Amino acid sequence: MSIRSQLLIVGLSTLVLPWAGCQYARELEFALRGSQEQALSASAATVANALSAEPQRVFRQGSDVQPFDPGRGDLYVFPLGRQPLLDGYRDDWGIGQDPVPLPNPSLAGAGTPRSRIQAGATERYVYLYVEVDDAHFEPEPSDVLKARVSFDRVDLLLQRPDGTLDAFFFATSAPGLIEAQYLATSDDGATRVDAEPRIQAFWLQTRGGYTLEARVPLSMVGGRLWLTPRDGPKSPITQELPALEHLEGGRLFFAPQGLQDLLATFVRAGTRATVIDANGLIFGSAGSLDLSGNDAQRGNLGQAWFRRLIAADNSRLPEQSQAPDRLVGPQITQALAGRADTVWLRTGRREVALLSAAAPITVDGITRGAVVLEQAGDQLIGLRDRALSRLFYLTLAATAVAVAFVSGYATWIGARIARLQAAADTAVGNDGRIRLTMPESSHADEIGALARSFERMLARLQEHTQYLRTLGGKLSHELRTPLTIVRSSLDNLESEGLREDQRDFVRRAREGGQRLASILSALGAAARVEESIKQAERVNFDFRELLESAVAGYQSAFPQARIELQAPTDACHLRGAPDLLVQMLDKLVENAVDFCPAGGTIAITLARHAGEYRLIVANDGPPIPEGLLPRLFESLFEQRVGHDEKPHFGLGLYIVRLIAEFHGGRTAVSNRAEASGAEFTVSLPII
Amino acid sequence: MRVESGELWRLQRRTLRSHAFGYDRAMKKTIAIVEDEPALRDNYAAALARQGYQVKGYANRTTAMQAFRVRLPDLAIIDISLEDEAEGGFDLCRDLRALSAELPIVFLTARDSELDAVSGLRLGADDFLTKDVSMPHLAARVAALFRRIDALRRPGDAAEILRRGALAIDVEKMQTTWNGVPVVLSLTEFWIVHALAKNPGHVKNRQQLMDAANVVLDDETITSHIKRIRRKFISEDAGFDAIQTVYGMGYRWVE
Repeated sequence: MSIRSQLLIVGLSTLVLPWAGCQYARELEFALRGSQEQALSASAATVANALSAEPQRVFRQGSDVQPFDPGRGDLYVFPLGRQPLLDGYRDDWGIGQDPVPLPNPSLAGAGTPRSRIQAGATERYVYLYVEVDDAHFEPEPSDVLKARVSFDRVDLLLQRPDGTLDAFFFATSAPGLIEAQYLATSDDGATRVDAEPRIQAFWLQTRGGYTLEARVPLSMVGGRLWLTPRDGPKSPITQELPALEHLEGGRLFFAPQGLQDLLATFVRAGTRATVIDANGLIFGSAGSLDLSGNDAQRGNLGQAWFRRLIAADNSRLPEQSQAPDRLVGPQITQALAGRADTVWLRTGRREVALLSAAAPITVDGITRGAVVLEQAGDQLIGLRDRALSRLFYLTLAATAVAVAFVSGYATWIGARIARLQAAADTAVGNDGRIRLTMPESSHADEIGALARSFERMLARLQEHTQYLRTLGGKLSHELRTPLTIVRSSLDNLESEGLREDQRDFVRRAREGGQRLASILSALGAAARVEESIKQAERVNFDFRELLESAVAGYQSAFPQARIELQAPTDACHLRGAPDLLVQMLDKLVENAVDFCPAGGTIAITLARHAGEYRLIVANDGPPIPEGLLPRLFESLFEQRVGHDEKPHFGLGLYIVRLIAEFHGGRTAVSNRAEASGAEFTVSLPII
Repeated sequence: MRVESGELWRLQRRTLRSHAFGYDRAMKKTIAIVEDEPALRDNYAAALARQGYQVKGYANRTTAMQAFRVRLPDLAIIDISLEDEAEGGFDLCRDLRALSAELPIVFLTARDSELDAVSGLRLGADDFLTKDVSMPHLAARVAALFRRIDALRRPGDAAEILRRGALAIDVEKMQTTWNGVPVVLSLTEFWIVHALAKNPGHVKNRQQLMDAANVVLDDETITSHIKRIRRKFISEDAGFDAIQTVYGMGYRWVE
């Protein structure tokens, strides 16, 4: 793993900043929720106290608090916003809830089909709506009093405001608008059927039965009311009224009129206030909830995902009560038990929680109901989000800056190390030359220190290499004086006059001295060539002419090999030092002759090739071991054994390279195909 | 050791002849050898003494100069590095040239680099030899220098003059002129020019030139000698190009 990616990971650790920001935001959200709870709870208590002071505006019937039991026929009377049309449909009631099953347990008997009921009230009327499942419609006969006559009807038992009971029934020979009828006793004592025009209804035949929408003036209605559908064949009509004390349920729970207006004075925008009675039935509500969240916020994609990132988990909250006629929930239970309570509720929208605060309305020490204030949980969140998202973005930007900076820094460090590495890799060139200066060494840091260590190491290596490189020259120089002593002594000895047998020894000593001299000369050759390269002058000359002339010389100097030249027919102009090039050629040809078997061919080729002259000296003979090829042009590298006894110090090809490089050229060596010999190539740019 | 060339023998014999006829035997020529290596000094002294010279050896510049102030030798052979003076020979040469303008001075050194040669010759040395030189070669050179001195002292008789176009070589006096202007050459250079000019158009290879100059030099040194000779002629005549390089073979004189 590169330093860059390592440091990048380190840089990413600054992501802890936005994370901390999120944590802080979450904490803040809890705190804000707490304060919102307190505020709403206080508001609820205030409203509850205000309502407690005016119980007559809240509760219709004195202190009569009965438990609401829909199972026994108790009915919640929805407040209706406007007068519905009597048409058998309740679409215009504007109530979201479906009618509830009507048990009518006390009056139930044979012939009671299954039915569902809903009640509503305007300022003047009570509306009743009942759906009856009765597949077989039996119309009302002309004389309903005939014994054993049966027909489909709906009985209405009504408690008048004065406490007396009245029985009516709805029946019709054909669907449509009808009036309620009742059995009355005439002055003559006979029973007759009378119509009650104040109670009107609409009978509508449906697929599975019929529906009845009835309207009863509020003035006729006391506290209780029972509605019982009858299936014709099974229930004959009777005139008997049941005893009031035997009746159960049937109580009507009205929402007091005007309560909504009263509540409206208490609520603020975005808050819904609801008053419930001791049964949790809604007496009235005002205000509306804003569950849409902050519109501006929704438009902002960034804030939306930011909210998702930091939002508290709502999924485990209890769900908002959906019933339109009553409120339920732990806060309601608490409030109706006399204790104020607040609770967070889940709403249809995932990210919006609903705060519901309930406070009891206590009249004369009795809890008569409760005020429930509801508010969307994000009332303050929008405000907080703007501040926090800015903080979040700032920390995120800080992280980005930190990561970018760390990345840049790592790139810089990496680049410096890479530079150092590249310099270290190439510090010792193929030619054995050592570059002493390393990049980065001027920096004061550890990389600089490393570079300086490299420099010191290279300097010592350089000293050593320099010593080795000059050893040959020094040796040749230092050995020259003693050699001269030996040779001059031999000269003198010879001049003194020797016996024939002594001459042989002197001759041998002289031969040894000569060999020693040639060894010393070879040792100093590279240094001399470097010296002459330094002083070389460049002139313009014809390389082809030089080659032809030189090759003619070689042909007479080395008769044992066939030396052939192939060159362009026209002049090959080159700018350089012809003496040096001849010397280079000498070395190449000497080398080729050394390895060329007797009678072999040495082919010298000169060709123009893409802006350069390519000189190839190829000789027959053994191939060069592959491993030696790349090192052949190095100084003092010689592992090849020629077929003569001449000393080889591996300087010849080194000199070739020095001269080629002086001319801006390159050297290369390869084996010819089928191991038939070696091929030395010198490329010289045409200037 | 290479076989000495016929010309060398001829020169030596001529030297001996001139000694026999022209000079008193008692008046032996004195040669001063300034060389800090005693074994070499003694070897040179022995070889030259055998040729009939009186040889005096000095190990350093101070003792040599003391002796030279008392009496000048007829010829001085000076090593460049003397004891602890790396270039003491150059200083000695300058001092000696101040004492006498004509005294032949030969530098002898283990160092054969270009710079040393040029520096030595600028100081007015007549020749420059590496210690590789064999004793017969050294003797031939010394004889030649003495012969030149003698020829210079003799009144201007009709000398043996070799003319090649603008070039005129007085073989006896070992003097060279180009368009009548003297070109000052060292002994080695003179012999090289002489060998080339004697047979114009003939290619002389390096070995032949070394033989002619009575030296053993490596190829690079021959090359630098040729270069220096050209430079000397060119300083007199910018258009000089009589010495041609025949690559791979040698050099030739073209008219």
